[in-house]
Amino acid sequence: MWVEGLTKTFYDESRGEVHAVDGVSFQCHPGEVLGLLGANGAGKTTTMRMLSTILRPSAGTAHLMGHDVVAEPEEVRANLGFYSASTALYPRLTARETLEFFARVNRYPPERVAARVEELVHRFSITEFQNARVEKLSSGMKQKVSIARTVVHDPPVLIFDEPTVGLDVINALEMQEVVRALRDEGKTIIFSTHIMSEAEKLCDTIAIINAGHILASGSLEDHRRATGKHYLEDIFVYYVRDGGTSSLGRPDAGGVASGADGPIGVLPAPES
Amino acid sequence: MLATLYRYEITMLFRDARTILIAVVAPLVLFPVLILMSRAVERRDQQRVEEATYRYAVIGSEADLASLLIERALEMADPDSGLAPASFVEQEGSGADSLVRIGSLQLAVEGLSPEEYRRIRAEEAANEDSGGVDITMEDVLPQVPVIRIHYRSDRDVSRAAMERLRARLVEVRRLHRDSVYRAHGLPVTERVGVLESQNVASAAREGGALLGLILTPLLLFLMLSGGSIVAVDAISGEKERGTLETLLTTAAHRSEIVNAKQLAVITVGVAVTVINLLNLLVYVVFGLIDLPQNLAVQLSAVSLLVLLGLFLPLTVLVSSALLLLSGYAKSYKEYQMYFFPLFLFFIVPALFATLPGMDLRSAIALVPVAGVGVGVREVLVGEHDWLFLALAFLSTGITAIGAARLTERTLSTERLISGVDLDEAGLRGGPDLFPRRVLRWFGLMWVLLLVISLWMGEELGLRGQLLFNIMGLFFVGSLLMIRTYRLDPVAAFALRMPHPAAWFATLIGAPAALVTGIGVAEAFQRIAPVPERVLRSFGELGVAGDTMPLWEMVFLVAVVPGIFEELAFRGVLLHGLSRRLRPVPLALTVGLLFGLFHMNLWRIPPTAYLGTLLATVVLLTGSIYPAMLWHAVNNAAALVPVELDWVTEDYKLPLWAYPVAAAVLVVAFTVLWFTRRPYPVPQRPATASRADGRAPPRP
Repeated sequence: MWVEGLTKTFYDESRGEVHAVDGVSFQCHPGEVLGLLGANGAGKTTTMRMLSTILRPSAGTAHLMGHDVVAEPEEVRANLGFYSASTALYPRLTARETLEFFARVNRYPPERVAARVEELVHRFSITEFQNARVEKLSSGMKQKVSIARTVVHDPPVLIFDEPTVGLDVINALEMQEVVRALRDEGKTIIFSTHIMSEAEKLCDTIAIINAGHILASGSLEDHRRATGKHYLEDIFVYYVRDGGTSSLGRPDAGGVASGADGPIGVLPAPES
Repeated sequence: MLATLYRYEITMLFRDARTILIAVVAPLVLFPVLILMSRAVERRDQQRVEEATYRYAVIGSEADLASLLIERALEMADPDSGLAPASFVEQEGSGADSLVRIGSLQLAVEGLSPEEYRRIRAEEAANEDSGGVDITMEDVLPQVPVIRIHYRSDRDVSRAAMERLRARLVEVRRLHRDSVYRAHGLPVTERVGVLESQNVASAAREGGALLGLILTPLLLFLMLSGGSIVAVDAISGEKERGTLETLLTTAAHRSEIVNAKQLAVITVGVAVTVINLLNLLVYVVFGLIDLPQNLAVQLSAVSLLVLLGLFLPLTVLVSSALLLLSGYAKSYKEYQMYFFPLFLFFIVPALFATLPGMDLRSAIALVPVAGVGVGVREVLVGEHDWLFLALAFLSTGITAIGAARLTERTLSTERLISGVDLDEAGLRGGPDLFPRRVLRWFGLMWVLLLVISLWMGEELGLRGQLLFNIMGLFFVGSLLMIRTYRLDPVAAFALRMPHPAAWFATLIGAPAALVTGIGVAEAFQRIAPVPERVLRSFGELGVAGDTMPLWEMVFLVAVVPGIFEELAFRGVLLHGLSRRLRPVPLALTVGLLFGLFHMNLWRIPPTAYLGTLLATVVLLTGSIYPAMLWHAVNNAAALVPVELDWVTEDYKLPLWAYPVAAAVLVVAFTVLWFTRRPYPVPQRPATASRADGRAPPRP
């Protein structure tokens, strides 16, 4: 995933022009989890929605598996699994039907749909309630179906927008394990959160976002070295509240934030 | 993909047991129960009224006469033998009128002398503030005693008592009159002659006319209510549940999602319509619903196909409108709030078919929904006016396609997800937004023009209409657009000087265009002959001209439109659309819209033709001025020869004039082409990715 100068400006009748995202740039590679860490209203969800083609960027560009989010939205979405607290499931479909439906509409080869659904039903322990309607499931069960729904078409890129919001500790931990497993399978993962411990545990690169800008980006170790602080919470406060700067700072104002090396504007060949 | 989306949409609907129960099963069960109950109540009520004892009192100075007449009336048999025997009981007369008012008595029968009656009427007339009894009334006031029956129309028993007593009293009077005639030796025959009217319409035609009045509104009602079952859930429901974002992040194309939902709306809408019509048919067969006597409808296979053809675009339009509403509404509640205005939007035009004198061979064929409604009525009575049926089909069909495309765009609207309106052009506003708003402005102006010509035409007169429409509507409208969108007046009005040769081309081109325009009008009239009343309205211009000096006529009909219509149509409209359309479709669109503003169907082809030529002139010269001169010369050349009696109004041009004029027109446009100063097309707005001024990097 390659993002350059992504900007989103809304017009709100009461507030006028609102720059929800203002020139965000980053790259994320296969087998990497890039965490967008920010407070509520920092621009995480708007960035995610632009990457998933639901919103159209006001400026800048983003490419996913070589496809432009503006010019080739269908190709982008076929390569993408999008999960957020607001992506609900159809209550009147069963768990199995939900997976079949999303496999088909995401253009997964029809002859392989049944086998893929079967695989996910076992992987996410959906077997017992696979034929129950979603409306009858508990929130933990729904979460499992939702994650399975996100990966049912085996997309190379996954976006998790605050996936643990509203989950209890056990379900949140399960979610983290799933994300880790998917990274180990070589998926490119963008993970947004405002929970520090999650970012510390999961993310290879942490981009701290505030008021639509990425303030600093790097691994946890990079952040510790650059700020001289140990805990991510302190690092976050250093950048967001205290207005601190570092060598990792403001990449969206000029450079490109990335956890991996690579020249600007050149995507590395996807790993097979 | 489409099949998958559609299949799951229908599957989910059928699993919503409550919706199916309320929307489909409940009406099927409830309708017969309600009909049976209402019929039982009606029968019982009728019986109660017929079998009631009608209490009455006799009052007034001529009470004896009234009593005598009532006595005779009650002795005779009821004129309506189908009713139960009436039972009238006389009560004490004092305060009878107020007793009727409070309901203790059904009737108070008042006998009045002629003088009393005259006085009472005069008082009543004074109370009504009508200036007392006039001479005409004096003439018709009776010279004999008057029997007045006081009753209460809001009480069914009182009303029935009055009707039954009155019928008997009328019969008594007739018998009395006959006996007087006989006593004076005058012959009284039962029959002095029989009046009979012969209806030459076949039963099928009558039935068709009746069915034609209700069929379209009924089908629309059923389609709207049936389609709503799916539509309300299709987008606004998905928004509320949070499933829309899930769906929009799949690889499905927006158009596939919309088409699947639209197919589901159509399927359910048609299914509900068919079920309810079959339901009605069952009631008719079992006699629960009484059809008018001798109702017969005969439809040929062709008529049936035409009906289906007319209903097809209507079905698509209904489904698109419902989905559009669903996309616009943020929740179920909002959808329900907007549903009623949408319902009226369809039902009111459909009811145009019930208006007296509404003929398909008129501009109504161009009004979506209304044209279909009138067309359906005409097909049902066995008339197939193919050209106008095709126009009705096209007007509704084109609207349906437009609505379907608009619906597709609804899903791309970011407001659906983000909750705020983001629109790049809207954000920048001004000139960037104008190309997307210009048609709305002209649509509004068209509606205003229609309203003015329909409701205020006569009051304003020709002079008033011309000045109001052209200077008021077009010029003020143009200025408002320029101000609202911060347009450069020079660019918007194309106020540039053309190549000098353009003036020569204009002076030879304008008369040639008029002649070829007449050819276009005559060719169209061969396809659709002009009705008599339309010819009369054409002639009104000439009549008005008789009361107006020639210079004023030329000013109003040639100079004013030449300036102000050009500023509006070849000025701001052309400017607004030039960013969206290539030159040829641009000239055609401007021409067609100009034609549509002339309202009358027979004037549309020649004026659309003129409008297209004028738009081409502006595109070739880059200037509005030659088009203004062309327009003014065209109108003056059409008017002056008739006003000066050089030719008569029904003068026919010789056939050779058309090819000669066409050749001159070719010369004029050749001159314009070789001396062209092309119309400067405004720059398209920068795309989102280029808005920051940087070229988008390629990966």
